[in-house]
Amino acid sequence: MPSANSETAKSEVNMAETSRFKAMLKHIRKDRQLLILFIPCLVFYIIFRYGPLYGLIIAFKDYSVYLGILDSEWVGFKHFEKFFTGRDFWLLFRNTLLLGFYTLVFGFPFPILLALMFNEVKTRWFKKAVQTASYLPAFLSVVIICSMIIDFLSPTNGMINKVIQAFGGEPIYFLIEKSWFRPIYVISEIWATMGYEAIIYLAAIAAINPTLYEAAKVDGANRFHMIRHITLPGILPAVIVMFILKTGSMIRVGYEKVLLLYNAMTYEVADVFSTFVYRKGLLESNYSYAAAVGLFEALVAMIMLLTANVISRRMGGKGLW
Amino acid sequence: MVRRSRFSVFSMINGLLLICVAVSTIYPILYITAISLSETAYVVQGKVWFWPKGFNIDAYQQVLSNSKIPRAYLNTILYTSLGTFTNLLMTAIAAYPLSQRTFFGRKYFMMMIVLTMFLNPGIIPHYVIVQKLGLINTFWALVIPNAIWTFELIILKTFYENMSTQIREAALIDGASEYRILFHIVIPLSKPALASIGLFYFMGHWNSFFIPMIYLNDQTMYPLQVVLRDMLIFNEGNNASLVDASALAPQALKNATIVLSMIPVLMIYPFAQKYFAKGVMLGSEKG
Repeated sequence: MPSANSETAKSEVNMAETSRFKAMLKHIRKDRQLLILFIPCLVFYIIFRYGPLYGLIIAFKDYSVYLGILDSEWVGFKHFEKFFTGRDFWLLFRNTLLLGFYTLVFGFPFPILLALMFNEVKTRWFKKAVQTASYLPAFLSVVIICSMIIDFLSPTNGMINKVIQAFGGEPIYFLIEKSWFRPIYVISEIWATMGYEAIIYLAAIAAINPTLYEAAKVDGANRFHMIRHITLPGILPAVIVMFILKTGSMIRVGYEKVLLLYNAMTYEVADVFSTFVYRKGLLESNYSYAAAVGLFEALVAMIMLLTANVISRRMGGKGLW
Repeated sequence: MVRRSRFSVFSMINGLLLICVAVSTIYPILYITAISLSETAYVVQGKVWFWPKGFNIDAYQQVLSNSKIPRAYLNTILYTSLGTFTNLLMTAIAAYPLSQRTFFGRKYFMMMIVLTMFLNPGIIPHYVIVQKLGLINTFWALVIPNAIWTFELIILKTFYENMSTQIREAALIDGASEYRILFHIVIPLSKPALASIGLFYFMGHWNSFFIPMIYLNDQTMYPLQVVLRDMLIFNEGNNASLVDASALAPQALKNATIVLSMIPVLMIYPFAQKYFAKGVMLGSEKG
């Protein structure tokens, strides 16, 4: 009897499996047109988003273009050891972290402040005009922004130096002066992204229930009270999400701008992981070494994102997930 | 009384600060344009501040008669139009199945897609894959490896999800295929969303310099931004041909090139702001 029982149980399981399989086939058949539409996307993600992840194994190999990814020789952690013990490591680590940290700390409050300021403007056309102007830099390319920076800071013709000279000062060679690289990077970054990011906070402000302001007004609150007790708490979730995302990408300092602004005189403070990866990998064709550095950078970025997420949740806020 | 005056002082300071912000973003472009349209003597003496002095278009004539820049301009137009079209098509046909709640394997496909936002192995493995596929030094390298931006895909998928399902169901009952529904009903109805993500794709292509710089070797294939970068930042050989042969200030030539490269962007910018703002906000809601 027990054996018969188990027999029936088995066949039931089998039947359940076949029927589930049949249901799946039916589902596929029903969705076949949708699946066909989805194929290009699937192929794209597999080749160009998961392919590079697979390609990362070259960080543990001595990759040669002729041998290919699979047939190149395994070398274990050789490239990592070389990187961590080399003298470049601490320099790059410090530069990347400092540049990212300054951009985050000094840059983060500006869009929020700007959004609060826009929100206090009652004249609609004026608000629209200044807001539109504020995100103009988001439409300019990095190359144009950097060439503007170079022009405006030029020691001979640059506007800034003309002003300095007009006040009787000596012209400053901003772009070859080490101490100026980080301020220039951070300030231009704030200038370029402030208006664009303010849009996000403005959207969050727009979502706040207006009756809260009316009630506060009845209670005699002035606009600073309202900013402090209604607007800021209202946009806090958006602020936290932005902060987590920014912390996660903090170490991913934009290589494009550094690449365009640095020079032999400022390498010591300007060279970051990503520019190093570019030079080693693509200019010197040292793919495996560069991939190892890139992998390290990606891991640090991920750890920082997870940490920021955990901290935000511990502090009672919501995380990204 | 006291209170009232304090409020207006606040508004004035607030307004003034905002005007400063607006000036800081608009003035550099005004200045660059003024230099590009001014007479050399005034530029060299540093007398141009706001408006062109000794108005002329010599710099533009010279830039356009140099073969390099018009060709780069055409390259950019080609890459941008082809790239944006591919992006929109790929994103639209991918977002549609994903937006159907009963789509086979939807949950797993979405997981696979979203996960890539957090896994970014850096440029080298990407380069190696593109190299393996033999795309180096072809313009496909600028189009295919970034054919879909995950963020824009999610935005469009969300937009489709919020569309009415009734039309689709009615069309299915009438025997229309999914392809027909997508191309004749869904895409025409999602024009605002497509315009919004299309703007981001367009800007991405028009302004990109790093990707063409690493994937293209042939100088005749360079888009405008790469040529600009060579001209402006590194003062490479072309300045000898562009600058020394003329009595024009190098600054005027540089700036004329910048202005030419900005014209299409600045032309769509005032009209695009609606879509631009919408795109940012849609993104932030999902973010």
